[in-house]
This record gives sequence, structure tokens and C-alpha cells, in this order.
Amino acid sequence: MTRRLAYLSLLVVAACVEQSTAPGVCPNFCPGGSIDVHDTIFTSIIERDSTFRGYLQGFHAQAMAVVNVPGIVESRAVIATDTMFRRVTPKVGDTTTVPISVDSTRVKFVIVRRPKTTNVRLFLYALPLTVDSTSDFASLDPSFSAPPVDSMNVSALLALSAIGDTQTVRLWGDSIRTDSAGHVLQINAADSTLSVFFRLDTLQAPFSVPDTGRLAFGVRVAADSLASIALGTTGTASNGPVTRFFYHYTIPDTVSATPDSVVHGDRTVGTRFDSFVFSPATPPDDSNLAVGGVPAARSLLRVAMPAYLHDSIDVVRATLILVPVSAVQGAVTDSFPMRSLPLLADVGAKSPLSTNTALVASTAIHIGSSDTVRVELTNLVRAWSLDTTLVTSFELAQAPEAASYTEIRFYSSRAPALRPALQVTYVKRFRFGGP
Amino acid sequence: MTVGRSDGRTAVFIVVLALLAAVGPSSRLAAQDSQFGIRGLGTPGKWESVRARTTGGAFAPFDAFSPMADAALADVRRMSASMASGTSWRSADASGSTAAFRATRFPALVIAGPVTSRIVVGGGFGTYLDRTFGVIVHDTIDLRGQPQAVTDQITNDGAVSDVRLAVAARLGKRLALGLGLHRLTGSSRIVATRTFADTLNYRTSTARDEVAYGGNGGSASLLLDVTRDIRVGGWYRSDSKLRADIGGVTKAENDLPVTYGTGVQWRAGAQATLAGTVTWRTWSSAGDSTAHDTFNWSVGAEIGRPSAPFRFGVRGGDMPFGSGKAPSEVGYSAGLGRQFSGGRGRLDIGIERLNRSGTGLKERVWTFLLGLTVRP
Repeated sequence: MTRRLAYLSLLVVAACVEQSTAPGVCPNFCPGGSIDVHDTIFTSIIERDSTFRGYLQGFHAQAMAVVNVPGIVESRAVIATDTMFRRVTPKVGDTTTVPISVDSTRVKFVIVRRPKTTNVRLFLYALPLTVDSTSDFASLDPSFSAPPVDSMNVSALLALSAIGDTQTVRLWGDSIRTDSAGHVLQINAADSTLSVFFRLDTLQAPFSVPDTGRLAFGVRVAADSLASIALGTTGTASNGPVTRFFYHYTIPDTVSATPDSVVHGDRTVGTRFDSFVFSPATPPDDSNLAVGGVPAARSLLRVAMPAYLHDSIDVVRATLILVPVSAVQGAVTDSFPMRSLPLLADVGAKSPLSTNTALVASTAIHIGSSDTVRVELTNLVRAWSLDTTLVTSFELAQAPEAASYTEIRFYSSRAPALRPALQVTYVKRFRFGGP
Repeated sequence: MTVGRSDGRTAVFIVVLALLAAVGPSSRLAAQDSQFGIRGLGTPGKWESVRARTTGGAFAPFDAFSPMADAALADVRRMSASMASGTSWRSADASGSTAAFRATRFPALVIAGPVTSRIVVGGGFGTYLDRTFGVIVHDTIDLRGQPQAVTDQITNDGAVSDVRLAVAARLGKRLALGLGLHRLTGSSRIVATRTFADTLNYRTSTARDEVAYGGNGGSASLLLDVTRDIRVGGWYRSDSKLRADIGGVTKAENDLPVTYGTGVQWRAGAQATLAGTVTWRTWSSAGDSTAHDTFNWSVGAEIGRPSAPFRFGVRGGDMPFGSGKAPSEVGYSAGLGRQFSGGRGRLDIGIERLNRSGTGLKERVWTFLLGLTVRP
């Protein structure tokens, strides 16, 4: 009997689960302390802010902006292909070579961003082979003023039915859309980007032996309204422009077991240079804070954290407040993200960035809007609050950088009434210890 | 014989389990919680063994294993140890809002043994104040010009324990005197959390800290056998301020009450004992207007064979913390005791019902009590 009682009692005790929390009936049956939230706008907490330009050039970018917004901006893509071999060795081990004859050329671009407008058309222009990073809008404008070597209506291609027979899929990897001129459009299943292919004959893309087969092209865009697209560059893994030569050569009877036979082949060459030029150019820097443009500009903001933000509060929200000097002009689809990048150390323009992605914040900059821009820096300010060894500075940068003509400028700390501010919502330390 | 050996192993098993449980975190050494204690210093513990508690507390001053009156230790003739545990189910009704609570506590442990034929030394711990509670409050605040729904949760897990070293001496056949030194110690872990409904923009704020409590006290008591069957007792206790430290810095100091009381026990034959006690505590010095002096009484009886008695009792009185007038408490309890292993061990079980009532709040508590006493 005693044993049974003991086991029963222990079982009851052991089975019990603690439950001591319940809805509070305040103030009579609540603790004396309360959780107080305060919200403060620190108008002079950001100081020594600066703009630095040149982090990325247009030819470093992940995309080429191709825009045509009359009266506001026009941006054009330019590419130059790598060299192409001019002769081939028809027989392995033989030192005799024969020339190739190019039959046609196919140029591929990947549209990584496109507008929702209608009648989007791409125009391909032949450019001088001297195109490089020193070329600008004005110097290339004569080439873009000449008749295009080809044009493609992307909207019309998208409206066509997809060709998905087994032979097409075997050759192209997926279904395609093609028009009577031989243009091909393929929708990439992974990311919904559009691969477009210009098919050029030897008149449109003459193969020049003295030029080692190199070609240079420019791309303009037009649409019913606010035409703006972005083409992938070699800065991306697989969205860069690609040129493919289709050629043939004849095997002389003295060197082959199959005399005078014609051999067909093709060769894909890469892109040695891609960039974009636009007008009007990015204006020179002034006393304001610039973010974006080409070359890419970043703004470095330093935050003088008050001591009490470090040790006696818990930050629940922190918002950076920036007043734009003016609205960003352009096509609405050119709205871009602006990121705040925390620094590992503050050594000015070349400050190393933190690799902690959790502290990176982002906000959208909308074209045509002059509203105050707010960036949620909660994670970053909380980190600063908890770790006094962190550098309380960060950079504002466009994402992706140097891929667009767009640039926003904010009033800096030199403009006292409109300077950057930090709005911090924080919970004061709970009063522990008392009843 | 076989039964006796089995009971002995059972006793050892229970003792080991009980001691393991008793030396756990300080938060588990607490007594009966109450919502009335949230605004005050806490909920005072009951310095009673299971035997005393099942008599409504009336036997506490005469029970050597209740850490109330040190003089009762004079009755310990062999090294003995006793511990008590309680599992409670509590419901609180505050202005129509009801909540249920569960808790398991180990409110008292006493170890005592004679050093001479007249002097007994004992010690142990009990709960002085229980400070375990948690409240959740939903509210809407204006933040950045927008209403924001927030949820606050404040949890406090801990207790102030009373570690006692006492000595009792029998000054003749009828009089026993006891003195005790008390060290108040313990801690509570406090977590205050505010959660915003808008989790996209607002992060949860959590503040946590540990408060350490400290204080000292002294007690004195005497028991007088007026006749062979009637014993009266009186006790007095005074404590220093209760200090609350965080990180070694004193954040608060609160006066603690003077405790005094008296009781009488009547042995009405070989198989019946009755007792009654009254206790006063000056809790009003310990806080603001929500703290009240308390008066508590209890009456109880133990009937039946000493080896297997039946006990019952009733208690009543005040609770120290509550807005308006002092909350009241009425309790009913009953239980059984059973000796085993030839009298070397005793298992006490009991059940207690408490009804508490104060301004804006009513509490009802069922507590299952389990006590174990061993005399190795």
C-alpha cells in the first residue's frame, strides 16, 4: 500500500507541467514596471557624409540599359565581338590551311528586364570596331543615325505561337518563336528572361579578314511608350551577348581523301566588350549625396550613435530618412533598388564592406517620385547598439551598380533643413529589481 | 519480512528522488503562487510540513519538521529529515477573465538531530516569498502616427528562499526554547518581451535579467507543556530589509515584516490531537498602499493510530498584497500519514483547497501534497 501511494504521488508530481503565465489584469495584478516605447528622429546624427564615384563603369555592369524616353534620356547598348578564325586545317596533322567562307551570323542578346508597354522593337546597328570604354554617346551617334542592319519586333514575336516540335526542342533546348525574317525568341524557363537572336547575312554582318572577323553592334529600342529594356552582359553567368558564325570551306583534292568536298561548320565567339552609352550623361557631383549613375556613385554616411543608444535601450525599428533633391527621370520600369551596405572599417571611399548580409537593407527608388525615401536600417542599428566595436558607417549604393543611367541625389548634411536623419523606435530598459 | 525489505528500498528510492528534486533550481523551491503577489514582494510561503499543512497549519508550531517555531526541534530524538512537495492547480478570476495555472513546488526541507540529550540542532530551507508569475498584456499604442498592436509578456521565475540554522533546547520537562538564524537568498529570472503585430517593420524587444535577493533574520520560540496533554507555544521572527541586486548593484530594498504568533495543542487521548494557532505579520511596512498587515488563524486535528493518522484542518486570514483592503484566504485540507520501514519513514499525503478573494480577483487552488520523513 505504501509503495503504491509513493509511486502514485511521484507520478502526479512528475506529470505536472508548469503553467504560470496568464493574461494580465492591469494595473492591479501586473508588475510595477512597464515596457515603454519611444520614437525619436535624430536629425543631426548623420554626419561627415560624402559621395564617391567610380566604383563600377558601364562596361563592368551586369546589364546594359537600352532606353528611349524622348526628351528625357536615350541609352544604347554597344558590343564588340571577339576575333574569329579565318582559316581552318581541313585534315588533322596537315599544315595546309584553307580559308573559311562565312554564310551567316547569329547574334544573341538576353533581355533581362523588359517593359509592359506594347510594340517593343529592337534595332541592331553596325558600329565601328574601335568601340571601347572611351566611346560615348556623341561619338557613336553617327553610327546609330545610319540605317539599322536589322530590327526585331519583340512584342510581335511574343505574340506568336511557340514552336515545340521535337526537332526544334532538340536543337534549341526548348520551344522557340520565330518570324519570317528568321528572328528567334526563346523564353528562358528558369528566370523568364528573353533570349533574342538576330540572323544576319553577309551583307548585314560582313566577315572581314583584315579585321580578324571582329564585329561591333549597337542596340536601340523603341516602343509605343517609355521604351526601356536591359540586356545581359558578360558580367553575368549566362546572359551575355553571343555571336555565332556559320561558315563553310572547301577541301582541296590534294590534301583529302574526299576531294573538293564542302564542309559546313559554325563557331561561337564571345564578346570582348559590352557597355552602354546614354544621353544626357550623368551630371558632375555636387554637394549632395549621389547614388547610382555611370560611373557608379556611392554615398558614405557616418552615424554618431549617442551613448544611450548603445547600452540602455533595445532598438525595435530604425529608419533612415533621405530627402531627394529631385525626382529621378526616366521610364517607370527603370525604378531601382538602393541598398545600404555596412562597412567593416571606415577608410573613406575604399572602405571594405561587411559580409554580413543580414545587415544589408534595401528600398525601392521610384522613377518620377520626389517623395522622402525611407530605408529600414533596423538590423544594422540593432547591431550597432549591441556591439560597440562595429563601425557606425554605411554606404548607399544602387543595385545593380552602373547598369543604368538612373541616379538619385539626396540632400546631405550640408543642407541643415533637409539633411539625412535617423528615426529610431526603441524600448527603454525594463525596470528590473522592484516589485 | 519480504514486505519490510521492499518497503525499505522504496523509502530509499523516494528519498533519493526527493532530494534530487529539492536541490534543483531555486525557482522550484517556491511555495504556492498567487496573482495577489505580483504587485507586491511576492506570495509568502507556508512554513509547514505536509503533516502540518493538512491540519490547516495548526500543527506547524508544534511540528519539528515545520520551519515555523524552532523550539519544536526539541522533540527530535534521532537524526531525521523531512521534505514536502506540492502540486497545485490554480484558477484565477479577475473581472470575468479566467486563467488556469499549474505548478509543482518543494516548499520545505528540514534536517535535524540531537547533539546532546537536551539540545537539538536543525536546519533546512523553506520558501519565504514566491516570485514566479507571468502576465501577457495586449494593447494598441500609437507609434509613428499609426496604431500598432503590441503584446507584452513579463515572466518572473524565482523565489526568495529562507535558509535556516536553528537550535532548540529543552529547559526542563515542560519548557523548550528555540533560536534560529535565517539567511534569505534566492534569485528570479525576469524576461520582459514586447512583440509587435507588424513584424515586418518592428523587431521583438526582449530584456532579461536576473535579480539576486539577500537578507538576514532571526527567530525565537518557546513551547510550554501546561499539562501532560496541553502544550502552548509562541514564536517571534524579525528580518532585515530584503535587498534586490542586479549585477552586484542594489536596485531595491524593502522592509520585511515582524512575525509573531501563538498556538495551543491538546492531546485528547491516545488517538486524537487538536491544535489551533494565530499569527500576525506586519507586512504593511514592506510596500506601498497595496501592502497590508496580516492576521491568520488555523484549526486542525489528527486522529487515529500514530502510525496511520487521519488529519484535517481549516485556515483563514489575510494575504499581504492587494489593492484596496487586504485579500482574504480560506483553506480546507485533509490528509493521511503512514509509517513504513518499522517507523523509520513516514509518508504524508494530503489535499488542500484554498479560496482567495480580493478586490477584483478571486483565486481557487487545489493542491496535492506529498511529504516524506525519514529517520535513518
